[in-house]
Amino acid sequence: MAAFLPRPRRFSTVVHAIPLLLTIACSEASRDSRPSDPASTFRVALLTPGPISDQAWNSGAYQGLMRIRDSLAAAVSHIQTRTPADFEENFRHYGSEGYQLVFGHGFEFQDAAERVAPDFPRTVFITTSGSRVAPNVSPMVFGFEDPSYVAGVLAGSLTRSNVIGAIGGTEIPPVRSSFAAFEAGARAVNARVRVLTSYVGNWEDASAGKEQAIAQIRRGTDFIFQNADAAGLGIFQAARESEGVAVFGANVDQNSVAPDVIIGSVVIDLPHAFLAVARDVKEGRFRPGVLRLGSVTGVTRFVLNPAWRDRVPAGVLARVDSTERRIISGALQPPRIEFVDSVGRLP
Amino acid sequence: MTEIAAFIAQTIRIAIPYLFAASGGVVAERAGVVSLTLEGFMLTGAFAATLGSFYSGSPWIGVLCGIGGGLLFGLIHAVASIRYRADQIVTGIAINLLAVGLTRFFLLMAFDSSSNSPRVPGFGITGDAASLTGALLRNPLVWLGLMAIPAVAWLVHYTPFGLRVRAVGEHPAAAETLGVPVKRVRYLAVALSGILAGLGGVYLALDQHQFTDSMTAGRGFIALAAIIFGRWEPVRAGLACLLFAAAETLQIQLQGMQGIPSQFVQMIPYVLTIVAVGGFVARSTPPAALGKTED
Repeated sequence: MAAFLPRPRRFSTVVHAIPLLLTIACSEASRDSRPSDPASTFRVALLTPGPISDQAWNSGAYQGLMRIRDSLAAAVSHIQTRTPADFEENFRHYGSEGYQLVFGHGFEFQDAAERVAPDFPRTVFITTSGSRVAPNVSPMVFGFEDPSYVAGVLAGSLTRSNVIGAIGGTEIPPVRSSFAAFEAGARAVNARVRVLTSYVGNWEDASAGKEQAIAQIRRGTDFIFQNADAAGLGIFQAARESEGVAVFGANVDQNSVAPDVIIGSVVIDLPHAFLAVARDVKEGRFRPGVLRLGSVTGVTRFVLNPAWRDRVPAGVLARVDSTERRIISGALQPPRIEFVDSVGRLP
Repeated sequence: MTEIAAFIAQTIRIAIPYLFAASGGVVAERAGVVSLTLEGFMLTGAFAATLGSFYSGSPWIGVLCGIGGGLLFGLIHAVASIRYRADQIVTGIAINLLAVGLTRFFLLMAFDSSSNSPRVPGFGITGDAASLTGALLRNPLVWLGLMAIPAVAWLVHYTPFGLRVRAVGEHPAAAETLGVPVKRVRYLAVALSGILAGLGGVYLALDQHQFTDSMTAGRGFIALAAIIFGRWEPVRAGLACLLFAAAETLQIQLQGMQGIPSQFVQMIPYVLTIVAVGGFVARSTPPAALGKTED
């Protein structure tokens, strides 16, 4: 801006400044490719829909990428994308650079991956929570329903009002399915429980998330299962400002984000899942198909906030533990709303 | 009765950022400067308030910092568009992008996160966030926000400064010949819009006790729509803000109901905005010199 000169029509200066501003605005979109070993040819890329510092869905994926780099000596790259046009452009970029494995981290990457994949047959595209299989596109589907059901058992046992809530970012099938499992878990232990479900409409607007939560709390909700990324921060804030309301964290262990209101987290061990897939691809064992990873494989689990353990009656804790054990052993299968087109392959 | 009180409380909470931003935008627009920048002013105000509150431990220092942040960006916009007569749409977009980029950059610098700040002292926590009294009593910025529109209406219509603002927005050449310092009036008007819109951002951040990346989420543009819908009259713009906030409240309240798809409910505020602006604004006339760079 110092380039302004004391003459009229400085219009062009501003126009020239715009590319610079755009660069600043999109600064996280830097590709931090770090070949850890020049001889290593295994290259892995990650596209996330949001910032990797969100302490939730995206940061877990980035940790997975880092683990792939460290454990498999891979060269890795990450980029944050915003729009479907971004998805496709960056898939193409990594495909043409010869990356062997590219993760599109979310249901929303499915269509772009399918469009791009035929042009890069030597690249494996993994869509996290994706919905369809193509020759080199495989969705990685998490049994998020498993720990969601456990959270439902806990909420259904502890609710005093018999009203519990679920708040999502947008209404996408994986979120809807986990909310259904949460409701089923609560009903399994409490026939009178009622579940309110609402969606913020985006994953970023914390103030909007807070207002959704306040509306539910006013209707008597005392436990809220949130899955709204950054908008979820507003839900924690609403719980702080209300008496006797507890919230469940989602995707990563959020228990330390707001320990005063988060009773437990429904966790996907994304690093574990990412590394398993990358190892298969690197060693040539990877076969296209739906990768189902739930509590049975140790990828999803419910993590009670240690600070809350004393506040939960022993009988309820025992019920939660036994529910989790039955799910891990395969004796109990929480309901899921199927959104994957093909038949799954168990890893 | 409690349903109505809760509806009003939520409408007010949602409307406060709009009211701040729209009251500021009205002044700048009436002086002839396009207020595409409200979004950027709000975001800067929100971030500066978070920084101030974090480092001082006092939300009131945060408010002052937020005012400073909005004012700083207001002055940048004023210098570019008034002194150097840059196209106001272009500088407006540039200011908004600059605000997104700079807040993200300093978020990373100050708090080592590109997503959100740590918790900072904010305004009043009570155990009763949902009630009408909870909404009105716990946060002094609510009162300030509700007073912003009447104050600006008085300023524009009943003070010598307001008369000058309207004059330079309608016919700057005529105002000039009568001895009105056109540029100085516009500078003041844009600076004031920066302060007021900045306060809208301050409200968001201190209500959340936290800054989150791009937390204004388009609220500055909704405020601009309210100004246009209100035909550049402060009071009508304020009512438009309340209307938009009420539509959002309706959306939120309807979500609890079973059987209505969430996507459909979420459309309501946008549909209402299009109907309102499209249906009523056709007849409205902006200030004659709005956005004109030649004077």
